[in-house]
Amino acid sequence: MLRVLRQRLVQAVGVAVVVSTACFAIVQSLPGDIAYRIAAGRYGYDQVDAASAASVRAELGLDRPAWQQLLDWWADLVRLDLGTSLVTGASVAHELAVHLAGSLQLAAVALGTAFTLGAPAGLLAALRPGGRLDRLTSLWVTGSRALPPFLLGLVLVLVFSVHLGVLPAAGHGGASSIVLPALTLAAGLSGLFARVTRDTAVQVLSSEHVRFAETKGLRASTVLARHVARNTGVTLVAYLGVQAIVLVEGVVVVESLFAWPGLGHALVHAVFWRDVPALQATALALALLVVALNTIVDLATLALDPRPRSGRAAR
Amino acid sequence: MSIHLHELAVTTTGRALVDVTDLQLHRGRPVTIVGESGSGKSLLAHAVMGTLAAELRVRGSMSFDGQYLDLAHRATRRRLWGRTLALLPQEPVLALDPTMRVGAQVAEGAATWRTDRRQARTASSALLARLGLGGEVRAFPHTLSGGMAQRVAFAAATIGGAPVLIADEPSKGLDELARAELAALLRHHVETGGVLLTITHDLDLARTLGGDVLVMKDALVVERGPAEEVLDHPRHPYSRRLLAAEPSRWDHPWMRQHPTHTTTAGGRGGSRDTDAVLLTGAGLGKSFAGKTLFHDLDITVTAGERLALTGPSGSGKTTLGNVLLRLIPPDTGRVEHSPALAGGRLQKLYQDPAQAFPARVPLRHALGDVIRRHRCDPRHLDTLLGTLRLEHDLLARRPGQVSGGELQRLAIIRAVLLAPTLLFADEPTSRLDLITQEETVRCLMDQVEDTDCALVLVTHDEALATAVTGRRLTLHPSDTVRTGTTGSDQPALRRRPARALR
Amino acid sequence: MTDPNGSGGTSGTRNLGTSSSDAHGREPSTAQVRPAGAAEHEALQEQPGPRLLQGDPGSPGRAGWWTGLGRGRRAARGGSRAERAALSVLGAVVLFALLGPLVWPDPAAQDLARFLERPSLSEPLGHDHLGRSVAARLASATRLSLLLAVLCVATAAAAGTVAGVLAAWRGGWIDAALRGTSEVLIALPLLLVVLVFSAMASGGLWTLYVGLALAQWVEYFRVVRARSALVLGAPAVEAAGLLQLGHAHLWRRHLWPELRPLLLTLATFGVGTSILALSTLGFVGVGLQPPTAELGLMVTEAFPYWSEAPWMSLAPVIVLTAVLLGLLGLRRQDGTDRVDGTQGAR
Repeated sequence: MLRVLRQRLVQAVGVAVVVSTACFAIVQSLPGDIAYRIAAGRYGYDQVDAASAASVRAELGLDRPAWQQLLDWWADLVRLDLGTSLVTGASVAHELAVHLAGSLQLAAVALGTAFTLGAPAGLLAALRPGGRLDRLTSLWVTGSRALPPFLLGLVLVLVFSVHLGVLPAAGHGGASSIVLPALTLAAGLSGLFARVTRDTAVQVLSSEHVRFAETKGLRASTVLARHVARNTGVTLVAYLGVQAIVLVEGVVVVESLFAWPGLGHALVHAVFWRDVPALQATALALALLVVALNTIVDLATLALDPRPRSGRAAR
Repeated sequence: MSIHLHELAVTTTGRALVDVTDLQLHRGRPVTIVGESGSGKSLLAHAVMGTLAAELRVRGSMSFDGQYLDLAHRATRRRLWGRTLALLPQEPVLALDPTMRVGAQVAEGAATWRTDRRQARTASSALLARLGLGGEVRAFPHTLSGGMAQRVAFAAATIGGAPVLIADEPSKGLDELARAELAALLRHHVETGGVLLTITHDLDLARTLGGDVLVMKDALVVERGPAEEVLDHPRHPYSRRLLAAEPSRWDHPWMRQHPTHTTTAGGRGGSRDTDAVLLTGAGLGKSFAGKTLFHDLDITVTAGERLALTGPSGSGKTTLGNVLLRLIPPDTGRVEHSPALAGGRLQKLYQDPAQAFPARVPLRHALGDVIRRHRCDPRHLDTLLGTLRLEHDLLARRPGQVSGGELQRLAIIRAVLLAPTLLFADEPTSRLDLITQEETVRCLMDQVEDTDCALVLVTHDEALATAVTGRRLTLHPSDTVRTGTTGSDQPALRRRPARALR
Repeated sequence: MTDPNGSGGTSGTRNLGTSSSDAHGREPSTAQVRPAGAAEHEALQEQPGPRLLQGDPGSPGRAGWWTGLGRGRRAARGGSRAERAALSVLGAVVLFALLGPLVWPDPAAQDLARFLERPSLSEPLGHDHLGRSVAARLASATRLSLLLAVLCVATAAAAGTVAGVLAAWRGGWIDAALRGTSEVLIALPLLLVVLVFSAMASGGLWTLYVGLALAQWVEYFRVVRARSALVLGAPAVEAAGLLQLGHAHLWRRHLWPELRPLLLTLATFGVGTSILALSTLGFVGVGLQPPTAELGLMVTEAFPYWSEAPWMSLAPVIVLTAVLLGLLGLRRQDGTDRVDGTQGAR
């Protein structure tokens, strides 16, 4: 377990370094003088002149060699000093907290919905492979793959907001505003959950050890509860880790589409306005979110499956 | 209690896979069905158990204790599972739930599981302790050896108190010691008044169990009778052939005419000194995962000699082989190869020949590349194919589409194309049926004999080692190594004094 | 990443949001009861053990997922219905992308007099809010998407394969360095990488290409490395070494035949992912910039006119869906629906 945590920690640090360096590169490559931008961010565009830009340049050490600036840039990150937004002038850390909460809320609702829809459907489909429910699930999976989140979101907006007018299309007001974004995210995920549950359960059901459990004289329900469920769970949980990236990508798209105040929305805004501190903070948060989700999944798998997990990865 | 099977038949798309008119199982008298893969013996067991795949049609009936069951309806057996009928699965390692502790897996089979779990758990622990697994109650299956897993499976299958036990290839993959333990367990089941039906290709197991033996071939029982009678004096031609294929009963010219000191004109290079040392290992030691496989081991292999590396599974014989081939480095000591082995004249045969060929290209490419690279005569390949009785068409197939025996013969051809001076065979026939094994070994030894090449055979099968080789090096898990000539019934084939290995 | 037994983790996820349904790398389809024909065939083989029992999982060693793949491809050559349908859909899209610009040459020509003109025979998709020919824009956008996607995938696949084989073959510090890099990159969502990249230079084609290729090569690297390590560690390669068959033989007979179907599958995934990423970025306004014709951008531009000119919004959506469905259909036929990053990639 310590090994898992150590590896994930190394990965998290690596992610932070890469994201932060990329953001530094953006700053360096930005057209125009970064000092002007920062000065503008501080004092407003009307008050910027060469003098204020120069003072900013001297103050921030922007006239030093690039590698020194990069070290400073990293040092700020280590101190958890995320800087201030170039657009709003507010503390990035503060905005980040708000956005993180928004994204987590959306992701949790979507994940919960997808799981409650997908896992039981997959399990039922597995009991009768080739049956009606199985084919329905398969169709659903194909459909959700062919209709990417942003198109699905548009369809939902058209149906529920524009034509029926029952649900709000955008914003963060009241409980009903989360319905469409969460549904858009959950639709694709639930199909995948159903598919994975189904395939795993079919495989577990036909495994030697389930057959043997049956011939021991156990009732079908006992076999299902004691052997099938747990072994399916192992794979399903591991697959949740695979879904972490899908979820995060989906969050970015869906939030932009529905103007949901979360990390993805903030990220697109930051990219659009070249707001580098905000960009760095949101990109970091999203990437670390992926690492965190994977860490949780690793630990859960470790707890569920006693088999040693050296082997191939050790190579 | 006794069980009577009538007119049992298993068919698929009109073809009979099992066709047995009558089979009786009685308390206290084990029944063993022997035969090769594809003879239908396992299907018969699973037809009785009611665990056959749905697309196979089953006909027939089964009567016991005044009950009469139609075998066509698999569901009729389901309520008997655990209480009347029990199945000892093959490959117990796969038959145990990898995520559940051993004790719980056994306990859930107990009759009292649903009413009194504590009692079921106590019974489980007691049974496991009786089987010598008292310390493993809380272990997970992946920590068990094959023999231990088999005993756990035995406990799980029998804790429900079923008088009828069906064992499907129970000795598969077990080493000698584990096999003996298994046989004792099965005998114990019979002696305590149980009914036992064993399916196996292991004639030794059939001998140990005694009782009645049935020989199956192509869906039919070709011979049946008391074990000693069938296994010692078979009447049916197929039974005779099957029994004659046991290495201990072999009779082949190369078993006696082993090349001796006389300088024979062998191989390509004309005359050479057959006493030339091909390979020397000095002070070899290797540990794996904290376990010493061997240490301070000396070994030489001379030209034309036949040496067996034997020992139970896990004793490190394959590792020693790979050290000798210089495929992996030893922890201590050194291995030297004579120049006579350079240029691809040291070849190896593998346990699973399918893994020894590139999996996704037709075999003709695998062999053709050898011929091109070493500028062999392509006609030599055709000659060898003929000698080893292989169809030329086989070369158009991929390794996975050729049977194990044929593929191992192709591997022999591939090795022989380079006219090796030393052939290293790592359990080359352990996955083959008896008759196929004999044919494969015959092909191998004919080539070894023809080219006068040295042979190092890694095997767990003592009888095979005795039949094929003149000298033996035995590795023991306890890290002791013994050497000596192979079997006392064999004349000392190489009059070279056995080197003290420790 | 760290999940050490080949299960879980985040690899294989840059694929249309799909991924391995089988995180343990086993083949789910063989888990179903075997067809009678196959079982019967195997019963006659010399392989020991019964083959006709319920749910016999097949010989797990070498009859892995790829034999299923071989069967699938053979079936595909015969041309199943789904396969032909997928191929013809993709063919139609490619034809449209190639020939469209010849019929409707200028996607940028504005004619405000033709504001939201309805579809006609010569202009089957009508005109947009700037009076531009929607058909011309759609053809140009489709061509752009396909070209860029194929280019990105080719670059990523080539780079990933070279790096993967190198890492598996040489091991040592090369392997360690490449693996370390991939550990980090695999945790970064593709959209994030491309977004950050496009922030460097505002929405240029070049940035998008580099960003997409950079984000995707890791996938190929991990799969190729894992598979190559397996192949190179197998007895067959050891035997080839003893037979002194040389590197060309290793590549031609051992590595390439194993890698080719994997790469094909990943590339099919990759093309879909790239097209989707491009249109998604265009849609949220940080991808290619107007007046370039791009599928996602066209959806955004057309959406405000949904009630007046729904065909304008539908046209790019239909093209996108057709491409994705076509690629899905191909992959399903390949029998490798589940073969992607998680296949031993961790």
